[in-house]
Amino acid sequence: MSIRTPVRRVGRRMRAAVVVAAAVSLAVTACSSASDDDTSSGTAKSKEDIVLVEAIRSLSNPYHANWAKGGQFFADSVGMQVQVLTDEGDSQKQLAQIRSLLSGDKTVVLNVDPNTSSDTQAIVQAVKDAGGYVVTQWNKPDDLQPWDVGDNWVAHISFDGTVSGYEIAKKLFEAMGGSGGIIALQGILDNVPAKQRFAGLQKALGENPNIQLLDQQTAEWTRNKAFQVTQTLLTKHSGKVKGVWAANDDMALGALQALKAAGLQGKVPVVGIDAVPEALQSIKSGTAGYVATVSSDAFWQGGVGLALGYQAATGELKVSELEQKDRAFYGKQFVIDKSNVDQYLTPPEASAYTSDWTDPFARNTGPIS
Amino acid sequence: MSTPVLQLRGITKRFPGVLALDDVSIEVRPHEVVGLIGENGAGKSTLLKILSGVYQPDSGELLVRGRPTRFRGPRDAARAGIGMVHQEQSLIGSVTVAENILLGAEGRSVRAGVYRWSDLNRRAKAQLDKIGSSIKPTAATDSLTFAQRQMVEVAKALAVEEQADHEPVIVLDEPTSVLEGADLETLFAQVQRLRGMASVIFVSHRLDEVLRVSDRVYVMKDGRCVAERDPKRVDVDELYRLMVGRESTGQYFREQEQRPVDGAEPLLVVEGLSKAGKYRDVSFTIRAGEVLGVAGVIGSGREDLCRTLFGAEGYDRGRITLAGRRVRFRSPADAVRAGIGYIPSERRVEGVAMGMSVRENILLADPRPVSVGPFLHPGRERRTVREWIDRLRIRTPGPDTDIGKLSGGNQQKVALAKWLNSPRLRVLILDHPTRGLDVGAKEDVYQFIRQMCGRGMGVLLLADTLEETIALSHTVLVMKDGQISARFDAAPGAKPSQVELVEQMV
Amino acid sequence: MSGTATTLAESGATGPDARPAAAAAPARYRFVRRALNAGPVLALILLCLLFTVLNSQFLTVGNVRGIADASAILLVLAVGATFVILLGGIDLSVEGVMASSSLVAVLLAANDRNGNDLGYLAVLGGVATGALFGLVNGVLHVRLRIPSFMVTLGTGAVGIGVATVLFGGQPPRLLDEGLRDWGIGRWAGIPRVVFIAAVVLALGYFLQRFTKVGRYAYVIGGDEQIARLSGIPIARFKVAAFVVSGTAAGLAGVMAAARLGVGDVQIGSGQLFATITAVVVGGTLLTGGRGGVLQTLVGTLLISVLANGLILSGVSPYVQKAVQGVVIVAAVAATMWTARNRIRVVK
Repeated sequence: MSIRTPVRRVGRRMRAAVVVAAAVSLAVTACSSASDDDTSSGTAKSKEDIVLVEAIRSLSNPYHANWAKGGQFFADSVGMQVQVLTDEGDSQKQLAQIRSLLSGDKTVVLNVDPNTSSDTQAIVQAVKDAGGYVVTQWNKPDDLQPWDVGDNWVAHISFDGTVSGYEIAKKLFEAMGGSGGIIALQGILDNVPAKQRFAGLQKALGENPNIQLLDQQTAEWTRNKAFQVTQTLLTKHSGKVKGVWAANDDMALGALQALKAAGLQGKVPVVGIDAVPEALQSIKSGTAGYVATVSSDAFWQGGVGLALGYQAATGELKVSELEQKDRAFYGKQFVIDKSNVDQYLTPPEASAYTSDWTDPFARNTGPIS
Repeated sequence: MSTPVLQLRGITKRFPGVLALDDVSIEVRPHEVVGLIGENGAGKSTLLKILSGVYQPDSGELLVRGRPTRFRGPRDAARAGIGMVHQEQSLIGSVTVAENILLGAEGRSVRAGVYRWSDLNRRAKAQLDKIGSSIKPTAATDSLTFAQRQMVEVAKALAVEEQADHEPVIVLDEPTSVLEGADLETLFAQVQRLRGMASVIFVSHRLDEVLRVSDRVYVMKDGRCVAERDPKRVDVDELYRLMVGRESTGQYFREQEQRPVDGAEPLLVVEGLSKAGKYRDVSFTIRAGEVLGVAGVIGSGREDLCRTLFGAEGYDRGRITLAGRRVRFRSPADAVRAGIGYIPSERRVEGVAMGMSVRENILLADPRPVSVGPFLHPGRERRTVREWIDRLRIRTPGPDTDIGKLSGGNQQKVALAKWLNSPRLRVLILDHPTRGLDVGAKEDVYQFIRQMCGRGMGVLLLADTLEETIALSHTVLVMKDGQISARFDAAPGAKPSQVELVEQMV
Repeated sequence: MSGTATTLAESGATGPDARPAAAAAPARYRFVRRALNAGPVLALILLCLLFTVLNSQFLTVGNVRGIADASAILLVLAVGATFVILLGGIDLSVEGVMASSSLVAVLLAANDRNGNDLGYLAVLGGVATGALFGLVNGVLHVRLRIPSFMVTLGTGAVGIGVATVLFGGQPPRLLDEGLRDWGIGRWAGIPRVVFIAAVVLALGYFLQRFTKVGRYAYVIGGDEQIARLSGIPIARFKVAAFVVSGTAAGLAGVMAAARLGVGDVQIGSGQLFATITAVVVGGTLLTGGRGGVLQTLVGTLLISVLANGLILSGVSPYVQKAVQGVVIVAAVAATMWTARNRIRVVK
């Protein structure tokens, strides 16, 4: 590569232009944030003034695809459209997308799955400043609560990972006959769900002394990583692996392929969480060894977040009058195994959820501790 | 033998702001060596670029063997049998010699995209044999020495013969500027050998060499071909006059301006400097206003010594004292801050920043003379740059021209200006400062060296030729195998002879 | 007369003393070349020794097979990427291409989404998808003069987008057992994917040593200006290199689909970093003109051995990433240390 590419120089005029532009944009931002007082919370909005928004990682995984569909169910029920933002796991992108929507003149009702806990504060603050309403799910910092920030942050919904991790572990041990060695595939290690679910596994291990945890590794929530890791672990603990616990279905499915490659398909039970259709089919078929998964009901998640925000915006729900237990709570989880997999295999009808839209707290299983 | 192999008639070429070639006519006859001389900016390289198909002339015609031709690109020139050996090396390091020789002309040696190595190597060997070289075509080009690479370049130029139906015209562009001693003799022998199988155009600044080697000499000046001479009937002085338009003075090196420095304060004191494998026990002093010349063949350690003094490399033992203070440079930046400047021998790589303008390059080393606080003062910038361009007679369309567009010699002048512009400068290290410069520019440099001495600066000089070393220096050190083998006083009127130096060098 | 004088000049011995520099140039060059090539090999051997000591299972047949298996897809990707990097460019689109090609292949073969059953033609479809992406990359880079990292970043995103559209919200499963066998099955105890990777490596080597596509990659990467002046149609060969890289990524996507049994948008996640690392750690310079597929093989093995060894030796998963990072930086530094004086410009 020759070093002869010419370098563009920033001439004096350009430099001046940049300075002026910077000054102008600073002034404009200052002005716009100052003039936000007329869209303050407290005044009830009508449908025409509201825009419904979902902010999720992507549409290319079934979980979020269902979430978006659930949001559509709710939007249809009130005769509105819903906009979906996908950030592909990029926190900056998520924040930027939300901010740009907030800068419109309608009131935003946002249902968001923040990328990481550290993103939550910026998001809820931005919504508050713009006078919108937000429901967050899954990730938030432990010491930050909706009631501390204000009425604009209507609620935070999560699912107790310790419960789901524990339940699938129990199903796994059952399938193993109560004894033997297992390997655990964790999600991204500093995600709250990863930590909680693993804690659930450890609780189950404590109750079952005949089960040994041979090894635990992270497969970062992804299928291909899980394949590789499982392959290595099968070699490392060859002959001893009698069960595989995975913190989500994607990883469990990857592990399944590795088992198949090692000729162990169907002989080693596997569990996961998320209830993706592929996992459900695998459970139904019974041959692969997939024993159980857990559903948080992504449809419900997609819709209820919007429902809460919408009701707050229209004044139907007085956020200031809510108790704390209704502002940060765990939703209901459903353990799925062969016995009940059929009812989850068919995608739900919109009608199945209409009662949940009117009573969004119906599935409140308890405050987040 | 009457049809010239190559004829250029009335070639004119314009660039924005500059008339590079003005109605130039030149011819080359079979088996003859034609010399081409001229100052920087006289139009030589533009002419060569037209010959090699890189540029197209605005008007005029080009005849190959009497037939008018147009070169649409380098390939056409090659097909017409014109082979260039460039001033700056044009070989690709990471492929083999054979690939370089036949680059772009692989032809039948590559079938359906697949290389038939035996065929390619055979063809390459044929070219290498022509010049009597024993380099293996399968050798990796990186592994060759500089002189060997020049051979490969010549072989590459000769390879055009395969494409043309007649003997080639080989153009040698400044082939001697980086050669010394016996390599030089080899080259002259090569040229003689080439004459037997081709015609040669020999472009050089070294007037005596051109006279020695050529059958006819063309002189270019300001884009025009101003004279054609028979080397047997002309001497260097007349050539110089034709090239530059003014008298070459016997006081070429401005010897009369060399002032004695006996009592002056020491600027740079080096004691017992050693670096394993490079040099040992080097000690010397440069006083204010003194030029210290260091002579030595490649491998004598003088280049490494320079790099150490400039902070580009470290040393194992010894002391360096600059202006009374003990110094140890960890990097060139340290050296610059302390007041040492360095003009390297490979200016394209180390001396000037390609991609920046003339102005930016001049102000590169020290923006303080043109700064007010942390800001650059545009008025002062302009004035300073203008001054340097005038003083060093740098030929450029303007101060904002990209430096890559300047001729080699002018780039060197910009490198000079860069350092001279820094007021901190105490000692300037010059590594082959006049390489590639024409006579007039060299004179300017010598004048400068004298002026700097007059201002109390010190100069460490690694000169192009022994003659330069002796004439310009107050003291001459000879280095051999990493050590100082001799020290000569070189006051005007009592200069050592070249023979005395050579005896100590080898 | 000229004969002797010439050879003397060539060998550099011109006077009574032979010039040290003439000998120094080839010696220094050989040393640098050897360092650039030897460093990664030494690092690999060192790592293998280390892990064997830490866990005797490292050198068992089963584990070596596992490492080979894990390296196969990465090697295919890295061999393709080597050509673009030799040119002095870079291909960041591999994850997107893998996504698209895996989906195209699965949707053409027997799957649970539609009635196709094209068998090996599906493989061709997937590979062709990759080649198409490569072609687009090359043409956009050459015609519109967009730097390769930008073009390929863009097409990579397009690849993910196309895959998302084809995907329909749920990964289609590959039901063709014959194809799945290619991903998981073995011949004579060696995973089939390893054979595929070996063939790709051999093809890559052939390309690099015996064809214009390969040789010109070195030439253009070495000095594009000189190449242009020699009349070489640079555009054509740049595009060719990108097509090679895209085709390899397409094949890798199909291999991954065969292995995991699905066409999946995320099928290539994490592979971009691994690919570039494999090429660079192996000794191919990002600036172009130096290196090759054999070096890339070493780099690939280094990465796989590292990942495998860390798990085997029980290094806590919480620090594995950090350890991998440190080792990789150390490996590259060790390689570059000896060459650092020569490489004056670091970008």
